[in-house]
Amino acid sequence: MTVCSTAFETLGRAQSKGLAHPDLPIALVPHPFGAIKRDGIREQALRTAFDIAYLVSPAAAPATAQAIIDLRAPTIQLADDIEAVNRHFREQRWTDGFPVIPPTPERVERMLACTSRKFDDVVGLVAPGYGAATVERIAINAVMAGCDPEYLPVLIAAVDAIASPQFNLQGIQATTNPVAAWLIVNGPIAKRLKMNGGANCLGQGNWANATMGRALRLIMQNIGRAMPGEMDRATQGYPGKFSFCCAENEDESPWEPLHVERGFRRQQSTVTVVGAEGIVNMNTRTKIVSEVIRVFAESMPRPAGNDYRTGGQPWIVLCPEYAEILSGGGLAKAEVKRLIWEQSKLPASKLADIDFELVQHARRAELGAVSRDTMIPACASPAELGILVAGGPGTHSAYVQSFGNTRSVTREII
Amino acid sequence: MTATMSVFDPIAPYRVDGEQKYTTLDNLKGKVVGFVDNTKPNFDHLIEDLAEVLKSQYGVASTLKFKKRQASVPAGDAVMQELLEKCDLVITGSGD
Repeated sequence: MTVCSTAFETLGRAQSKGLAHPDLPIALVPHPFGAIKRDGIREQALRTAFDIAYLVSPAAAPATAQAIIDLRAPTIQLADDIEAVNRHFREQRWTDGFPVIPPTPERVERMLACTSRKFDDVVGLVAPGYGAATVERIAINAVMAGCDPEYLPVLIAAVDAIASPQFNLQGIQATTNPVAAWLIVNGPIAKRLKMNGGANCLGQGNWANATMGRALRLIMQNIGRAMPGEMDRATQGYPGKFSFCCAENEDESPWEPLHVERGFRRQQSTVTVVGAEGIVNMNTRTKIVSEVIRVFAESMPRPAGNDYRTGGQPWIVLCPEYAEILSGGGLAKAEVKRLIWEQSKLPASKLADIDFELVQHARRAELGAVSRDTMIPACASPAELGILVAGGPGTHSAYVQSFGNTRSVTREII
Repeated sequence: MTATMSVFDPIAPYRVDGEQKYTTLDNLKGKVVGFVDNTKPNFDHLIEDLAEVLKSQYGVASTLKFKKRQASVPAGDAVMQELLEKCDLVITGSGD
């Protein structure tokens, strides 16, 4: 059984359904439980013990869960009017807050024609509701997002990636943290789909970037059942949750692209998913290599950041100009990672007491005993620091923080 | 008559593999209760007090306590196996 704080009861009950235990007993405690003083907890324990004894006894009669085995998506009849369709979808909370393209059978069939996968193939189970992401359901949400049919193979690979255990979609979807699933596309497909890896690639304006990122969010919401305020417990969220998708600027990178770094051939196309918590602009005028490394590294440490508390997988998005400066200074990508990793450590003395205790527990296996004198790295090793070359002309690079308890996953697009 | 169009429902139903019944206990006397601490503030104190109350007032025989590495990661396989083998009831935490 589970003890839930009251604000998280909805998550607990929905999660129980998604994990095929719809009758799992839940005992409630006040929210925020962390704010209660120690002597108040004893009183709560007496009440909770009573609840536990009641809930696990035969008086709490179990119900039988219904097996749902039909993978075909049902259709509904709506007035043939785009505003009426959007009014219905909005009332059902099937959108991300923006209007959608109605997912008619004709549109979905055109989308499905761009894959050799069968419509009822289950690509993955999408946490936290563990809904079955069939190829058809992926296509339905892709149509809603405005995707061209040719984008479907990217989304199929992306769903496979987010459903893998190391991505930790369960944690990402149900957390109070603001986390987006950032899609990075490499290989020939990026040009074929006219994706943007150049100027404003992390912003608005490119159809492929915008709609694929949006489609993945709709899939996470509609198939994974992560509704804001319900199973999606984000305290604030952030705009990246609408859409976060780009290509790497492989043409202007002095190094091997991300997918080649990860063992794929240059002519293969891949999608990498990253549990990303937002972007920090890094803008400097210096062209001196050692100074570039230092100011980038020193822009990273944050006592309130997940990467440092958990040992995450942060990313640096280098604009082409600064990738060229670093490469021209004789640095391979791995060396850039090593130098930034070494110089971006956070003094443990900067942490709040309770966060310091969390780090001592959470990162003990990796760092050993952590004292107030310890310099804490953002990630376990330099290899865990992601580097992507993207953007257009200008001096702006970006630090993309990760959720922490997540690892990026790369899948081939077929 | 208003023209209509067919559109797909984009939601996936909750997926259930077969029947999942919750197994109840007759009571807590003599049982072994496991706790999985989700590391959120005060849950360790609640577990400490619950363990004492369940033993002294409800007859629980013994308790096992495990602490996850972090709230947003699952308990490890070894922990899950030990809970499965040794416990009649497992209590987890969710929320802040």
